[in-house]
Amino acid sequence: MGVAISIQDLSFTYAETTRPALRHINGEVEEGTYVVVMGHEGAGKSTLCCSLNALVPRFFRGEYSGRVLVQGIEVARARVAEMSRRVGLVLQDFEAQLFSTSVELEVAFGPENLRLPRDEIERRIDRYLRFVGLAEMRRREPASLSGGQKQRLAIASVLALEPPVLVMDEPTTDLDPIGREEVLSVADLLRQERRTLLVVDHDPETAVDADQVWLMREGEVIAQGPPREVLTDLALLESCGVQPPPTVALFQALGWPGQPLTVEEAIALIREHGLAHPRPLEAPTAPPNGRPVILELRDVDYVYSTRAVEALKGVNLQIREGEFLAIVGQNGSGKTTLAKHLNGLLKPTRGEVLFRGRPLGEIRRTEMARHVGYVFQNPDHQIFSNTVREEVGFSLRMAGMDPRTIEERVAEALAVVGLSGYEDQVPFTLTKGERQRVAVASVLAAQPQVIILDEPTTGLDYRHQRSMMEMLRGLHRRGHTVIIITHSMWVAAEYAERVVVMKEGRILLDAPTRAAFAQEGILAEASLRPPPLLRLGNWLGTSGLTLDAMVEELRSR
Amino acid sequence: MNIFLYLDENTWFHRLDPRTKIIGVLLLFGLIIVFNHPLYMGAIALGLVGLAAAAKALPNFWRMRYILALLVIFSTVLWPFFAKGPTVIWSWGRLEVSRESLMYAVAMGLRLASFVGAGLIFLSVTTNEEFTHGLIRLGLPYPVAFAFSTALRLVPTFAGAGATIVQAQISRGLDVESGNIFQRAGKFIPLGVPLFIYAVRHTNMLAMALESKGFSPGEPRTWYLNPQMRRGDYVALAVLTAIFLAALFLRLQGYGAVLPRL
Repeated sequence: MGVAISIQDLSFTYAETTRPALRHINGEVEEGTYVVVMGHEGAGKSTLCCSLNALVPRFFRGEYSGRVLVQGIEVARARVAEMSRRVGLVLQDFEAQLFSTSVELEVAFGPENLRLPRDEIERRIDRYLRFVGLAEMRRREPASLSGGQKQRLAIASVLALEPPVLVMDEPTTDLDPIGREEVLSVADLLRQERRTLLVVDHDPETAVDADQVWLMREGEVIAQGPPREVLTDLALLESCGVQPPPTVALFQALGWPGQPLTVEEAIALIREHGLAHPRPLEAPTAPPNGRPVILELRDVDYVYSTRAVEALKGVNLQIREGEFLAIVGQNGSGKTTLAKHLNGLLKPTRGEVLFRGRPLGEIRRTEMARHVGYVFQNPDHQIFSNTVREEVGFSLRMAGMDPRTIEERVAEALAVVGLSGYEDQVPFTLTKGERQRVAVASVLAAQPQVIILDEPTTGLDYRHQRSMMEMLRGLHRRGHTVIIITHSMWVAAEYAERVVVMKEGRILLDAPTRAAFAQEGILAEASLRPPPLLRLGNWLGTSGLTLDAMVEELRSR
Repeated sequence: MNIFLYLDENTWFHRLDPRTKIIGVLLLFGLIIVFNHPLYMGAIALGLVGLAAAAKALPNFWRMRYILALLVIFSTVLWPFFAKGPTVIWSWGRLEVSRESLMYAVAMGLRLASFVGAGLIFLSVTTNEEFTHGLIRLGLPYPVAFAFSTALRLVPTFAGAGATIVQAQISRGLDVESGNIFQRAGKFIPLGVPLFIYAVRHTNMLAMALESKGFSPGEPRTWYLNPQMRRGDYVALAVLTAIFLAALFLRLQGYGAVLPRL
C-alpha cells in the first residue's frame, strides 16, 4: 500500500506574523488509513489541513519551508484548483461553505469546475447525496437544513470531486450530539471505502477508531501513534489542551488494570476483573434552594412569525435566585428561543414571563439588560470597539454612568474573567477563547443578577472550556444565577445543578443534574446521551458527577 | 429569515428557459412603459395578476401587498401636482390639479405597481442559479455573472447575521429606538462594525471553500443546469413580442395616453 500524504520538515509562518504556525512537521499517512489530529486552539491544526490542498501557501501567504507530497505531487508547486482533484477539504464553518440555492446544485459545483459532462455530474450527485443520506433532500434549500444535514451536504459537495484524500477540519464542533453522530457515521462509511481520511477533532471518542492519532502543540506534532498509545498518556494530552478519555482517567486514578477507551470496554474490564459491583443508583434529589424565584415562564407559547413554526409549546419554568441551570436539547428544540424570553428579547405569543414577579412587558428593555445579561454564542456578533476597555464599558456608557464608576466596573469584570491587564488590547486580535471572555466581561460589567450564556464552550478547546466553566462557577459562588445553553454533556454534568431537557419546543425533563443524567431513556428521546463517565456511573450506580467524586465513591465501596 | 422570493412550484412558467424569462420580463417592462392611460394600465395590471395566478406567484404579491398599495396611493396623491393637463378642476396659487393629471397619476401608480409585479413574477419562478445561467447564455462573462449571483446569495446570510447582532447589542443595553437622528447614527457603529467584520470573515471563508472545490474564475467549466429553448419558449417570446409591438403601434396611433409624454 502506498503513501497518500508525506510531510517532510514542514514549517510555515503566516505573512505579517512572527510566531511560526507550523514547526518542522514530519509525518506520513498510508493510503486508506484514518488519522485524527488533536491539539489546543492555535496549535496549527487548521494550518496543517490547509497545507495539504495548497491553501497554504497559495491562499494564505507566508514563509514556507519543507515539503508536502500528496500522492507524490508536491503541494506547494500546485494550484489549489489542481489539488482539489486529490485532496478534498471540509472546513470547520459549514455555513460559509454552502452558497447554492438547492442541495443538488451545491454538489454539482465541484464537478462543474472539473469540466465533467452533465450525465457524469448527475451520477455523482445521486451517488454522494445517497452516500451522506440526503437523497430525499435534492430540491431543498441548504439554508433550510439542520446543522448535521448542512455539514453532511458540505462533505458530499467535496466528495463529489472524488478526491482520494479527504481532510475535515473540526467537522462536528458546532453540532448537537445527533448531528455529530450523523457526520461520524459518514466518516465510518468513508473508511469502509478505504479512502484516506484526516480529521481534526477535540473529542477523544472520535479518535478511538483511528489508525493513528497526531497530537499537536504550539505548531509541532509531538506525538504520533495508535490511539491506545497516545490517548492513554494523560499528562501529554493535558499538555496539548486535549480532553483525556474519562474512562482511562478513571481507571488510572483508581489503579485498576487496563486502559479502556470506551465505556463498553470499561464495563467489560470491570466485569472481567470483578473491580466493582453495579448497584442500583440512588440519585440525590436536592430540594429547591429555598431562595426566591427570580424568573418564571407561565404557559409560554412562541411562534416565529416568519416561519409560522411553533418554537415553544406550553413551557412552564421557575428559576430561583442563585441557581446554576443547563438547558440541553438538539438544534431546533427551542433552547435559544426559551432563553431569549428570559431577558425579553422575544415576547411570548401566549402566556407570560415574570422577573421577580413582575411581567416582563412592564419592564423596559434597557432596564432588563441590567438585570439579566445575555452572552450570545458568537462573540464576534457583538465586539466592535478598538480596545477591550471600551468594549467592556459599553453597556455602562449606555446606562449613562460616570467615567470613574465605569473604570472600576470594567477592571472588576476583567478580573473576574481573568483578563486583567488586557484593557488596551484590540479585541479583534485576541484568540477565540479570549474574545469569548471579553463578551462575558462586557455583560458582567453591568452586574446583572442573572447571566445567560448561549453555547459558552463551543469552538473552544478543552483547556479554554475548562477555564470558561471555572469562571462561571466562580460567578455562581458569588451568588449570580447562571443559565447556560449547551450541547456539551460533560459541561452540563460537571457544572450545572439542574438540567432542563428540551424537545420540539417542550420541556421533556427538568431535574437535578445527577437525576437527569440517570434517565438515559428520556435523554435518548431528545437524541442525547449522558457523558461517558456518567454512562459508566449509571451502570455502576455511583452518584458522583465528576471524575474525582466517582473515584472517591468507588474507593470507599 | 427568508428574503428570497423564489417559490418552488412546477408551473409552466417555472419550466421556461431562463433566457425566455429574462427577455420576457424585459418585454413586460417595455409593455408597462407604453401607455399612460389608467384604463389601459388597468388592463395590463389585471393581465399581470392573471399571469401571477398562473405562475402561482400570488403568495408573493400578498407578501408585498403594503408596498404595492403604497406605490399606488403615493403616486395617485403626488403626481397630480407635478403633471399639468388642460382641464383644470382645482387650483391654489401655482398649484393646480386637472382631470388629465389625476388620470395620469392613477396610471403612474398602476405602472409602478405593475413594474414591481412583473419583477415579482420573474423572481417567483426563477432561482438564483437559473438567473445567472440565463445571463451567461445571453453573453455575460462567467466571472461577472458569478460575482453577481454570489452577491445576491450573501444578502440573506448577512441579513441573518445582522439580526443576531442587533439582538446581541440590545441585550447589552443598546437602545436603538430612541434619540434624534445624530444619536441614532452613532448607534450604528456597534451594529455596523461587527457586521462588517463578519462579512469579511465570511467572504474569506467562502473564497477558501470555492478554491478548495476546484473553482478558478475564467477557466472553462461545464454546467449541470442545462436549460433548453423549447417550443413553449419560442411561443411565449413570440406572443409577448407581438403584444408589445401591437401596444407600441396603438400608442403611436395616439391611443392609451392621457398626456402626451410617456
